[in-house]
Amino acid sequence: MTAAEVRSELKRLIVKELNLKGRDPEAIEDDAPLFGAGLGLDSLDALQLAMVIEEKLGVRMPEGEEARSVFRSVSAIADHIVKVRSA
Amino acid sequence: MSAPLWVTGLGLITPLGVGVEATWSRLVRGDRAIRDVSLFDAAGQRAAVAGQVDGAALSARAAGLGLAVDPAGGVAAPWSRTSAMAAVAAAEAIEAAGIDVRAERVGLVVGGTTGGMFENEQVLARLHAEPECRELLVQMLSHPLTATGDCLEQRFGPFARVRTLASACSSGANAIVLAAAWLLAGDVDVVVAGGADGLCRLTLTGFNALGALDPEPCRPFDRRRRGTSLGEGAAFVVLERADGAGRRARGPRPLAELAGWAAGAEAHHITNPAADGALVASLIARAIACAGLAPGDVDYVNAHGTGTPLNDAMEATALRRALGGDVERIPVSSSKGQIGHTLGGAGAIEAAITALVVSRRTLVPTAGLDEPDPALSLVHVPHAGREVPRVRAALSNAFGFGGMDTVLVFTEPELARRRDARAARAAPPASTARGPAREAGAVVTGAAVFGACGLLGTAECAALPERRFDLDGAVDPDPHLSAARARRLDHASRLAAVAVQRALADAGAGADVETGVLLGSAYGNVDASAAFMHRIFDKGPRTASPADFPNLVPSSPAGHVSIYLGLHGPTLTTADLAASGESAVVQAVQLVAGGFAARLVAGAVEPRSDIVGRVLAALFAHTPSQSRVARTDTAAAVVVESELGARAAGTRILARFRQVLEWRGDAAGPLASLSPPGGGRAECVLPRPDETAKALIARSGWAACPVRCCSPSIGESDALGAVAVAVAAARIASGLLDEALVIGIARGRGYAIALGR
Repeated sequence: MTAAEVRSELKRLIVKELNLKGRDPEAIEDDAPLFGAGLGLDSLDALQLAMVIEEKLGVRMPEGEEARSVFRSVSAIADHIVKVRSA
Repeated sequence: MSAPLWVTGLGLITPLGVGVEATWSRLVRGDRAIRDVSLFDAAGQRAAVAGQVDGAALSARAAGLGLAVDPAGGVAAPWSRTSAMAAVAAAEAIEAAGIDVRAERVGLVVGGTTGGMFENEQVLARLHAEPECRELLVQMLSHPLTATGDCLEQRFGPFARVRTLASACSSGANAIVLAAAWLLAGDVDVVVAGGADGLCRLTLTGFNALGALDPEPCRPFDRRRRGTSLGEGAAFVVLERADGAGRRARGPRPLAELAGWAAGAEAHHITNPAADGALVASLIARAIACAGLAPGDVDYVNAHGTGTPLNDAMEATALRRALGGDVERIPVSSSKGQIGHTLGGAGAIEAAITALVVSRRTLVPTAGLDEPDPALSLVHVPHAGREVPRVRAALSNAFGFGGMDTVLVFTEPELARRRDARAARAAPPASTARGPAREAGAVVTGAAVFGACGLLGTAECAALPERRFDLDGAVDPDPHLSAARARRLDHASRLAAVAVQRALADAGAGADVETGVLLGSAYGNVDASAAFMHRIFDKGPRTASPADFPNLVPSSPAGHVSIYLGLHGPTLTTADLAASGESAVVQAVQLVAGGFAARLVAGAVEPRSDIVGRVLAALFAHTPSQSRVARTDTAAAVVVESELGARAAGTRILARFRQVLEWRGDAAGPLASLSPPGGGRAECVLPRPDETAKALIARSGWAACPVRCCSPSIGESDALGAVAVAVAAARIASGLLDEALVIGIARGRGYAIALGR
């Protein structure tokens, strides 16, 4: 999976798993903030996303403080996934 | 001024010990009972430590009650570990107070969230995978939350009244608040109130999924705190009016006085507390005012203190806001570093501990607190407890998922009354006032039903029994809700939100009156719990969904509704099998008429469920008509407020509650005290065709009245009692009737609700 494919899959998972009905996954910007003002997600969404990523993409996401920087945007999550997979 | 409410007995079972003295001595020493989980396989869990009740000690004490509990955990249905712990604690409390349950008017209120989950997790997972499975189903007799109250009723009863109450981790505290309402109304002379929750895989896995558990034993208020630890246990308190019949006969010596309380909802988030602590601060201030006291009178706070970074920060902020400069003086501690978070039991266990702190003039510590978080800036009791000259008044905080928060105040007996300076109590706000509105009674100002009938507002509810709806169609709440704001609501919460929203809209209820939610739910979220457990057993604990877990808590629909609609009043859930709707409405009338809530939207919700339909409804069936009619998604709600309040707000009164009755077992003539209709047009509205209800009516003053039934119109569900009340109120409001009687019966229990113009 390329970084672009991972980003695309992540956007699909975000809309489906976080129940963002009516949102077009493709309209989520790669570098837009996911939390707070951006998509309006919060820490519970981050936990859900981490669980789904581990299950569907096989990558265990960081927890606690480290999670904060990784979960800041679709690009940041995708970069982490690609990095872990290539390690 | 009403009589003081005295704590005259306590029963306590915690991971520290079985019994008050066993727990207390270790509590004061600062012992910690949080260690590796052995009750079940906790392999693969992020945190695998918890506070477990000693199996051998529980087994020994239960044997004394004639109850066989395997020290390794097993107990035969309808009992569960939770119920066994509840029985042990209740027995100790009843004995300590010296009450005679059968001879006095004694009520029982049981708070809890997990009930028989531990015993049923494997059965549920199997039912999820094999829907036709019929083995082991008798085990599910222990599954409903009501099983605990029913077991205690069977062991110690009959009680004058029994209620099962859930508000997540404030359940045990709200059980005590309801006890106060019953006592002040004079409905009973004594109440045995408390809570119990057993440890189970579902809660350990769910809290781990939320990252809410510290892998090490939790450290409330510590700079390095990383989460809470789960625990298990039970506590009951015996409360009685100082001027009650029991008091006169037995002359009990009070341990402490239950002097104040306040309950409300943050309406903020299903798992995270609001960082500003505004709601909690206002509840602390109101509870202290309710007790007729000021922050200067408070000598101790038993904090909710979970040890999660967010809770402890919020709670410290709230304490500072509410107590002002006195926060620099008042010692604060959390018992969770020693016993863990006992969830539905916590509010009762920590209330009992707080009453003991007052009674024994000894502070209990926060164990595990080695490096106090300087940001919290509280006066701590680290490591071990200590004796103090007096504890005049003490607070016990309990906060639940969905922001359902409750604060209790225990004092030395008659602390407020003894003090001339404060003899004239400041008038507390409506939601904590002691009974001024009772004379004016409770009224219905809005009603709605949502289900196979679509969404019916007040006007349309009146004709419901005369119409027939498609019972197979899907019920879609989404067109009635904002997709973005409702994204966390599961189907049950959505159904409930639609009904509550419409009932409030029809009442034209202004936001200026504090509004709470009280929903009945017979079995909670069974199908989703089964799916959750199946996934954990199948794929491991790391696949547990953090988003789904909060929706498995029995009180989650009420919590979601309060958040979705921004309602800050008391947010409660009650369970009573097929009479859960009736139970919720009756409890709302009791709380509103007693001045404990200004306005409650009361009702019930039941989503169509495979497991309820195939298993639970059959196990707990009361009348054959329950299985003859298709089960449907149903939610119904009525707005209950005080007549004085409705008049002051200029809200239209649809109907007045004339009388509410409730009974257990096959009581002889439960309607004996029911007033006959006054001579106008009167009808009986039944949730479902029910020969027992019809026989009761035939022997009552209502015998000549026509009987209408709801289930043939909109299908069978355990929410039908709320439908019947909505229909009855609407028929009176529309001028079809002058009076109506709703009779709801479920296995071993019944309710009668008389409404008039």
